[in-house]
Amino acid sequence: MRRQKQTRQRPIAVLLVLALAGLLALADAGRLRAEAPAAPAALAVPGAVAPAALSPRVLPLPQAQPTAHPPTDAGCRSCHGDTEATVVFPSGETLVVDVDLAAFDASVHGASAENPIGCNGCHPPATYQFPHPPVAEPDLRAYALSRSESCVRCHEPHTTAHPGPEWSGGFDPAASASGMSVVCTDCHGEHQVQPAAAWQQPAATAVCAACHTAAGINLTDPTQLSLHIQFGLFSHRQVTTDFCMGCHGPPGKSMVFPNGDEVSISIDGNALHASVHGLGNDWQELACTDCHQNYNYPHPPVEAASAREYTIEKTELCGRCHETQHEGQMDSVHAEALAEGNLDAATCVDCHTAHNTPVPDQPRSRIPQMCRQCHSTIFDDYAVSVHGQALLNDENPDVPTCIECHGVHNINDPTTALFRNRSPELCASCHANQEMMTHYDISVDVFETYVDDFHGTTVTLFQSNDPNTPTNKAVCYDCHGVHAILAPDDPEAGIKENLLVTCQQCHPDATANFPDAWTGHHRPSLRDNPLMFLVNIFYAIVIPSTVAFLGFLVATDIYRKARGR
Amino acid sequence: MNKEMDEITLERRAIARGEYPRFRLMARIEHMLLLTSFTILCLTGLPQKFPFSPLSQGLIALLGGIETVRLIHRWAAVVLILGSVYHLLTSSYRLFVRHERMRMLPDIKDAYDLRDTVTYNLGLQDTPPKMRKFNFGEKFEYWAVVWGTGVMIITGFILWNPINAARLIPGSFIPAALEAHGWEAVLAAASIVIWHLYNVLVKHRNKSMFTGMLGQHIMEEEHALELERLERGNPAYPVVPPEALRRRQRVFFAVAAVVAVLSLAFVIWLFTFESTAITTLPEATRNVFVPLATPLP
Repeated sequence: MRRQKQTRQRPIAVLLVLALAGLLALADAGRLRAEAPAAPAALAVPGAVAPAALSPRVLPLPQAQPTAHPPTDAGCRSCHGDTEATVVFPSGETLVVDVDLAAFDASVHGASAENPIGCNGCHPPATYQFPHPPVAEPDLRAYALSRSESCVRCHEPHTTAHPGPEWSGGFDPAASASGMSVVCTDCHGEHQVQPAAAWQQPAATAVCAACHTAAGINLTDPTQLSLHIQFGLFSHRQVTTDFCMGCHGPPGKSMVFPNGDEVSISIDGNALHASVHGLGNDWQELACTDCHQNYNYPHPPVEAASAREYTIEKTELCGRCHETQHEGQMDSVHAEALAEGNLDAATCVDCHTAHNTPVPDQPRSRIPQMCRQCHSTIFDDYAVSVHGQALLNDENPDVPTCIECHGVHNINDPTTALFRNRSPELCASCHANQEMMTHYDISVDVFETYVDDFHGTTVTLFQSNDPNTPTNKAVCYDCHGVHAILAPDDPEAGIKENLLVTCQQCHPDATANFPDAWTGHHRPSLRDNPLMFLVNIFYAIVIPSTVAFLGFLVATDIYRKARGR
Repeated sequence: MNKEMDEITLERRAIARGEYPRFRLMARIEHMLLLTSFTILCLTGLPQKFPFSPLSQGLIALLGGIETVRLIHRWAAVVLILGSVYHLLTSSYRLFVRHERMRMLPDIKDAYDLRDTVTYNLGLQDTPPKMRKFNFGEKFEYWAVVWGTGVMIITGFILWNPINAARLIPGSFIPAALEAHGWEAVLAAASIVIWHLYNVLVKHRNKSMFTGMLGQHIMEEEHALELERLERGNPAYPVVPPEALRRRQRVFFAVAAVVAVLSLAFVIWLFTFESTAITTLPEATRNVFVPLATPLP
């Protein structure tokens, strides 16, 4: 979008009045002086003769005459105070060279100011000889840019949200190249520059509004704008969230990283307020600068080469408040993968999001959905499992989500021998919980019967003695499935229907009888595993009676010896 | 002829010294095999029966982990099986070649001896029973070992080869075998500690299983009838005419060689019978990073 030059809205009527005044000055300068109240008397120099004499509306551009004398203010004013002359740029644009001398004198740069600067302050004599050389700039806008450049000879450019040329502090090469730059004179005017105090009046926003309306660029609401101007633009105080939102609030803004990544930098203010860091935060509502530290305006250049790199850099910031979680995360598989150079590895904001951070486990179904972002196929498995169905359909509070097994921040590598050896205890943490299992009519014997079984005994021994050594003995998930855990009596794919196939995964030679070797997690009884039950009964009788019998014989013998026989 | 006579002479001289023949060399070898294998089997087996006691865990760790413990257990089992075969062969030799009586068979006198021992110990009668070479307690132990070894070998075979066992017997026998194997071990270990160790270490320091000889004092107390028999000049073991001995030996050694070879083959077969399970889990690779094409809101 090509921004139109901000035209000085000088009413044509005023021009006409002044032009008329110039003509009449020839006849009666004194009378006219009284009729021009805007022009202070002291500056009313009778120098309007020459321009009036050069009456053609469009002057031919004068040739450079470097040997001529430097002009003085009086010299300038003699022509520019009262003239209809215009400069025509190569682009065809024209500029009236007439200056409202009265307004100039009242300005901060004018004669009445503390440190008045004359015309030469901005129109340097080196280039402003008389007769004037032709304008060097190709068009009006280029001319305005050149003149604004002279402002920064005296004024440090202040912070502004506007894109501008390099020296203006709001430099944005892309915006400047496309003509979307705002220079000093666009807001401050050319000759009628006002003191800083005038800009701290709310009415000053009218200047902004006028330009923005003309350019069709939306403004934030006026109350924010006023703050924006008062505390943002004209101070070097730490910026406030409102200040940030002045630019980042409106939708559709984006930035481009060196690698070409384009990211939205528009922030949904309502979502930010509703986030855990917003109004409901236990500590206090976080400001933008709590995470985006040391951000003043203009922003320091972003060093990250890509959006992903930026995200990873910012992870550290979460750790400032969330130390435990951050440390946990640093021990996780994700951090490990990241350290190995995998930039896809999840960091804080991948799960928690950056700005509209929700309470992570409300509802609990949010958790697997979050993991799903990266682990979609595993989510698909989980979603059909007994656990996934209960969670996703009924928001069941007991079934495990991803984190109950894998951990929250310090997510362990689930492919290690350690994880495998410990996994039965993981399942047992719920399945051996009588209170919890009662609701679902699931036996809590499953863990102990497993541990009593050959497989479970071995794995448990490994777990306690040799947890890092791999074992080929089955753990819960070898039979029940890893993520797609179905009810054992599921008519289609339940383990009971497919027990032999399940056994054959590890016992490839197993035949039809073999699955009966598994106790089905039942404690031996006359109904379940009766043979085991009877064997146990047999030894429950034989062992004590044998021990008692032999013990009795030994006791009698000791008794005999004690009596010395 | 001379050899036999020499043995008899040696026997008489020992008896004159008050040393009574108790166990021949083959019995002592058997005992050593049994002692060694039984101890190792207990040390490696009982921790598996009670895997979660600290003692078991310490023992398992000491022996190099559960997989090593199981391997040791199986090697010890092989020794026990071979020891059992050896016992069957030597027993057969004594029965069929030397035509000795089966003095281990229990009879009604053992019941009386038991009764009389208890009443004597309790002071209800004044004289202890006079017992034979193998008294009721030793017979009890012997048959307990026979029973126990039988149970352990059968159930151990099932546990060692569950896949092939399940081809012949119902699958539910396998966990029952595991229970029997474990509890039988408890029974055996308890009996040995309470009864055998008391009798041979506490009550007397009985070294006859290592020296082959037993002193007069213990003979009087535990084997008074055998003592009297030997004192009367009877040979400890029946003397067999050399011709008959050599004839029977020829047949016996032929059969024994076949049995020994078959037993050895059985043991090798036992070790290589089946590969019960895969030894290492198959590598399963899965790409876990499959991000959603369209991120969720």
